[in-house]
Amino acid sequence: MTITNEPGAQVAVPTDLVNVTIDGVEMQVPKGTLVIRAAELIGIEIPRFCDHPLLDPVAACRACLIEVDGMPKPQPACAQMVAEGMNVHTQHSSQVAAEAQAGVMEFLLVNHPLDCPVCDKGGECPLQNQAMSVGRPETRFTEEKRTFPKPINVSAQILLDRERCVSCARCTRFAEQIAGDPMIELLERGAQQQVGTADDEPFDSYFSGNTIQICPVGALTSADYRFRSRPFDLVSVPTTCEHCASGCSLRTDYRRGVVTRRLAWDDPEVNEEWNCDKGRFAFRYQSHGRINAPLVRENGELRVASWPEALATAAGIFEAARGNAGVLVGGRSTVEDAYAYSVMARAVLATDDIDFRVRAMSDEEAGFLAAVVAGSPVTTTYGSLENAPLVLLVDIEPEDESPIVFLRLRKAARGGTRVVTVASHLTTGSEKMNAELVACAPGDEVRALTELSADIRTALAVPGAVIMVGERAAAVPGAFTAVADLAKSTGAALVWVPRRAGERSALDAGALAGLLPGGRPLTDATAREEVARIWGISADRLPQPGRSGRALLENAARGDYAALLIGGVEVDDLRDADLLRAALESETSVVAISTHHNEVTAAADVVFPSGVVTEKSGTFLDWEGRPRPFGQVFHEALTTSDAGVISAIAEVMDATVEGSVTGIRGQIGALGPWRGARTTRTAVAAQPAAAGVRLATWRQLLDLGLMQSDEPHLAATARPTVARMSAATAAANGITEIATLTGPAGAISLPVEITEMVPDVVWVPMNSEGSRIYRDLGLGFGDVVQISAGGRP
Amino acid sequence: MGLEEKLPSGVLLTSVEKVAGYARKGSLWPATFGLACCAIEMMATGGPRYDIARFGMEVFRASPRQADLMIVAGRVSQKMAPVLRQIYDQMPNPKWVLAMGVCASSGGMFNNYAIVQGVDHVVPVDIYLPGCPPRPEMLIDAILKLHDEIQDMKLGVNRRRQIAELEELALASPSTLEMKGLMR
Amino acid sequence: MPEMPQVVRGFGVTFNTIFKKVVTEQYPEDSTKYPPKPRFHGRHQLNRWADGLEKCIGCELCAWACPADAIFVEGAENSETERFSPGERYGRVYQINYVRCIFCGLCIEACPTRALTMTNEFELADNNRADLIYEKKDLLAPMLPGMLAPPHPMVPGTTDTDYYAGKITGAVPEQLIEQELLDEEVSEVTS
Repeated sequence: MTITNEPGAQVAVPTDLVNVTIDGVEMQVPKGTLVIRAAELIGIEIPRFCDHPLLDPVAACRACLIEVDGMPKPQPACAQMVAEGMNVHTQHSSQVAAEAQAGVMEFLLVNHPLDCPVCDKGGECPLQNQAMSVGRPETRFTEEKRTFPKPINVSAQILLDRERCVSCARCTRFAEQIAGDPMIELLERGAQQQVGTADDEPFDSYFSGNTIQICPVGALTSADYRFRSRPFDLVSVPTTCEHCASGCSLRTDYRRGVVTRRLAWDDPEVNEEWNCDKGRFAFRYQSHGRINAPLVRENGELRVASWPEALATAAGIFEAARGNAGVLVGGRSTVEDAYAYSVMARAVLATDDIDFRVRAMSDEEAGFLAAVVAGSPVTTTYGSLENAPLVLLVDIEPEDESPIVFLRLRKAARGGTRVVTVASHLTTGSEKMNAELVACAPGDEVRALTELSADIRTALAVPGAVIMVGERAAAVPGAFTAVADLAKSTGAALVWVPRRAGERSALDAGALAGLLPGGRPLTDATAREEVARIWGISADRLPQPGRSGRALLENAARGDYAALLIGGVEVDDLRDADLLRAALESETSVVAISTHHNEVTAAADVVFPSGVVTEKSGTFLDWEGRPRPFGQVFHEALTTSDAGVISAIAEVMDATVEGSVTGIRGQIGALGPWRGARTTRTAVAAQPAAAGVRLATWRQLLDLGLMQSDEPHLAATARPTVARMSAATAAANGITEIATLTGPAGAISLPVEITEMVPDVVWVPMNSEGSRIYRDLGLGFGDVVQISAGGRP
Repeated sequence: MGLEEKLPSGVLLTSVEKVAGYARKGSLWPATFGLACCAIEMMATGGPRYDIARFGMEVFRASPRQADLMIVAGRVSQKMAPVLRQIYDQMPNPKWVLAMGVCASSGGMFNNYAIVQGVDHVVPVDIYLPGCPPRPEMLIDAILKLHDEIQDMKLGVNRRRQIAELEELALASPSTLEMKGLMR
Repeated sequence: MPEMPQVVRGFGVTFNTIFKKVVTEQYPEDSTKYPPKPRFHGRHQLNRWADGLEKCIGCELCAWACPADAIFVEGAENSETERFSPGERYGRVYQINYVRCIFCGLCIEACPTRALTMTNEFELADNNRADLIYEKKDLLAPMLPGMLAPPHPMVPGTTDTDYYAGKITGAVPEQLIEQELLDEEVSEVTS
C-alpha cells in the first residue's frame, strides 16, 4: 500500500523505529510493521494468499511461513509484527521456511481441482503463480479429491466454487471490515470448511464485486464475466468510473472491440483498491441502443444523414438563433465536453442560458455553487474525511449516492471519526458508519441545522471537521444557505457531493449561467477579459448573465428560444420534466448530441452521435475537485466526443471552438485558477413546512438508471423496493402491509417496511422498479404526498 | 483487351468465353516475385519434381511485360509494396495475382509495422493460398483453382455486369470498424 | 581410348534418362498419394468424445499459444438443457483464420483435452479471405457410428472426470431420451 501524500500536507515521519534483520539485511522499520511488509521493503517476496494490506491480518492460509530466531516453530509473516532485534529468515535463507511453505502449498493443492483451463481466474491466479514458484512439480496425492456441487450463487451476481477455495477469508474479512455487509462467513470445519451465506439471505452487498477481485483463487467469480474471456487475451486500459462523483480509478479490459469487464484500480488517495458493483458491472449500456450516425429531420421523420449535411443543418439552425438559444449540458459530461458547450454558448451562440443540472434544482443552489464550489481548489479530500473529528452529512446518503465516500467514512468511523447525518431515519448505510442521527423531516433541514446541539457545533469547530451536502438540498429552500452559514460560523470545511460524475466537471467548466470556466463570474471585467483572450474573441462579445435552472426551462417551454442545444439529458430525470417536454414539442429547433436514443433525440431536428467514455478521452472532476483523467479505450471508434461535434458545428459557422482534449486542457491550463473576487451567494430564507406526510426519497445505487440497463445479474442484487415509514405514521393512516402513495401524476403502491423514523414522513426509492417518483407521482423530495392503506404493488 | 471488348451485348460471348478461357489458362506465365521462404517452394514447384510445365507454366518471366500471373511468394514489406504495385501495373491485361502463403495473404504471423497486412491492400488478389510455406502440391492446387476461375471468366458486357455486381456486394458489406468480437 | 565427341556424350545423357524412372510427382492426377506424410500439418479438426459430445472446453489456450493470433475462441456455459461438452464450459465460438495460421501445431500441444488435432487436408486455397476463416461447424470432426449429435446430457452416472479418463465408449439410448425430455420441457416453457 502506498502512503497517502496530500499536496502541502505534513507527512508524519515515524520516530518509533525498531531494528530488524531479514535474510541478513539489517533495516529499521516503524514499530508495529508486519514482517511481510518489512520484507517487501527490501524486495523479498514471501508467498501469501490471505494477506491483504487493507484488511486486518488473520494468518489463515499459512503460505507465508518464515523462520524467526528464538521462536520454536515457523511463524506466519503476515501476522507477525517486527520486534527489536528480530532476526528473520525467509524461504531464501532458511530451509525450514522453504519446506514449510512448500508443505503448505502441497496441502492447499490437495483438494484444489485441476480445472484451471475453464477457470475465470486462470492466467491471473496467485495460486497458479505460487504453485509454480514454491509448489511441487508433480502431485503425490492420488486419492479422491473432496468435491462440492459447483458453482453455487451467493448472490445473483457472485458465484462460489467451493472446491477452489483455500479458506483465506479475504472475502469474509472484506465484507465485514470494509463493506460492513457481513453476509458471507466461513462455515463448517476441516476439509468441509466453506464460504457460505445464511439461508435466504444472499450476499447482496453494493461492494460484493471486490471479493471477486481480491479472491486469490477462482473461488469467487461473477455471473457477468463467467467464461467471457481469458485474462491473457484482454487488453487493459486505465480509466475512470463514469457513474458517480466518487471518481474511482478503474481498469477496463476489452477484447476485439468489446469491453469484457472492469476492475477497481489501485488509487490510495481516492478509491484505495475498491469500487462499487455499479462501477464494476454496469457497462453494457455502452454498446446497446447507440446512435451510430447523424440524424436529420426531414418531413417530420428522422433519417440518417452524412456528417457534412447534419453539420450544415445544425449550423443553419444556430446561425438563426444567435443570441436566443438555450444549452442543456447534462450531468454526465467530461470537463472537456462541458467546456466546449460553455464556449459554444457564450462565444458562438452569444447566450448565457446554459445549465448542466438534470434533477431537482434551484437558483439558491446555482448561487451557492458559483460562490462556494466552482473552481475551488482541492482542499477537502478522502484523506481529510479519514482524519476528520466529525463529518456532518446533510441530505446525502453516501452508500447510495457516493459509495466510495461511504467506504472512506466507514473506515474513518472505525478509526474514531464521528459521523452525524441529518436525515429522516438511520439507514443501514448510516448504521454501518456508526452515524448519529439528527432527525429531520424532508424540508426541515434549515431548522435542524440551526437547532444543532451545542455538542455537534463544538465538534464542528474542531479543525478538520467536514460538512458534506448532497444534491437533494436543492429541493429544500434555504438549505444551502443554512449549510453555508453553519460552515462559516463553525469554521468546518464544506463540500458539495453531487451524484453524477459530470456535475462538478460541468460546474468548473463554466456550464452554468453566470459562470465562466474555473468559477469566474461572468460579470467580472477581468474574468471576461481573461476568458475572451483565450477564446479569441473580444470581451464585449461575451453575453450578459442569462437564465439557468427553472427559468431556462420555463423560457424553453414557452417556445421563446430559437434553438436548443441539448447534450445527454434524460427528460424523466428532471423534476420539471413537463417544461422540457413542452419545449421539445414547441416550434423551437433542437440539436441533440447524445450517445443513446432517448426522448430528446426523438424530438430533435438534428441528432449527432457522441462517444461513451470508452470511445473518448477526457477528465472527470470528483466531488473533491480532483481531476480524474482517463484514456481512450477504443481508438477506432465511429463516434467522437461532444466537444468534437461542437467544434465541427462551430467550424461550419466560421467560428472556432476547440474540440480536442489536449487543446481544451491547454486552454484550461492557460486560464489557470481564478484568484479574483467570486460571486456572493444570496441568502434564501427557509419556507415553513407544509402540513401533511412528506416524501423522503433518493436514488438507490442500483436502480433503473439508464447506465445500468442490460445488466440482469446486477439488477438482481438491487435492494427491494419498499416504502418506509414509522410505526406511528403507519398506524395513523391505517397502513399495515401495503401503502399507496398518491401525487399529482398518479399513484404507486409499495410494500411497507416499518422503520424507526421521523413521523409523518414516508421514504421511497426515487427511481426503482415500481417507484419512479418524478414520473409516477409527479412529486419530489420534501413534497407532501397522500398516503393510504392497501393497493397492489 | 481486344475485339471481344468492342462487341455488342452478348453476341458470340458464351462460346468465345470458353475458348478464350481455355487458351488463357493453358498458357499462364508467372512473373517471378519471390520475396521470402515461400519462394523456395515456388522454385521447387517450377523444378522437374513438381514440374508446372505440365500446366503450361514453365516460363517464369523476369519481365512483367510477358507475364500473366504474379505469384506473390513471401511477406511484403512496406518498402516493397510500391515496387510490387509497379510490377503489377506493368503486366498487360488480363492478369491475375496469387497470394502465396499466409504472409502475402494477410501478413501472417508478422502482425507488425513493417509488413503489409495482406497483399490485397496493394493489388487485387484472385486466389489466397494458406500455408507457411505451402507445399508445392498446395501451390499447384491453388493454381488449378485459379485455372478453373480463368476458364469461367466472362468477357465484355458480361464481365462489366459481373464487376458491377461484385462492387454492389462489397459496398453492402459492413466496415471493419463495425465488426466486433468475431473474426469477421 | 580416344575421347568420345562431346555431342555424343551429351546425347548419351538424354538416352540414359529415357530408361530412368520419372521423378515428377503426378499431382493432382494420382491424388491418393498426397499428402506425402501422415504427420503432415494440415487443416485442424475439433474432436468429439465417443458419445458425440465435443472435447473442446473453450479454454482458449490454443488461442493463447498461437503465434499468429489466428484462433478466436469464446467460451460459454453448458446449461442443464443444452450440453455440448462434459463439464462446465464449452467453446461457443471457434474460428481459425487460415490466412494467418502457419500450421506450426502449437495449438495442438496447448490443448488440454486433445480436442484440437490436425488432419492431412491441405487443399485450402480460396478466392477470398472471409471463406478462409473456418468456423466451428467447418472444423468439427464428423459424427461416427455410435455418436449422438450434441446438445445432449453426459452418459448417465458419469462425470466429466470419467470422460477425461477415457471411460466413455459410446452414446447410450438414455442420453437421447433424456435430451428429448429436456427439449419438451423447454418448448413447454417457451410456449
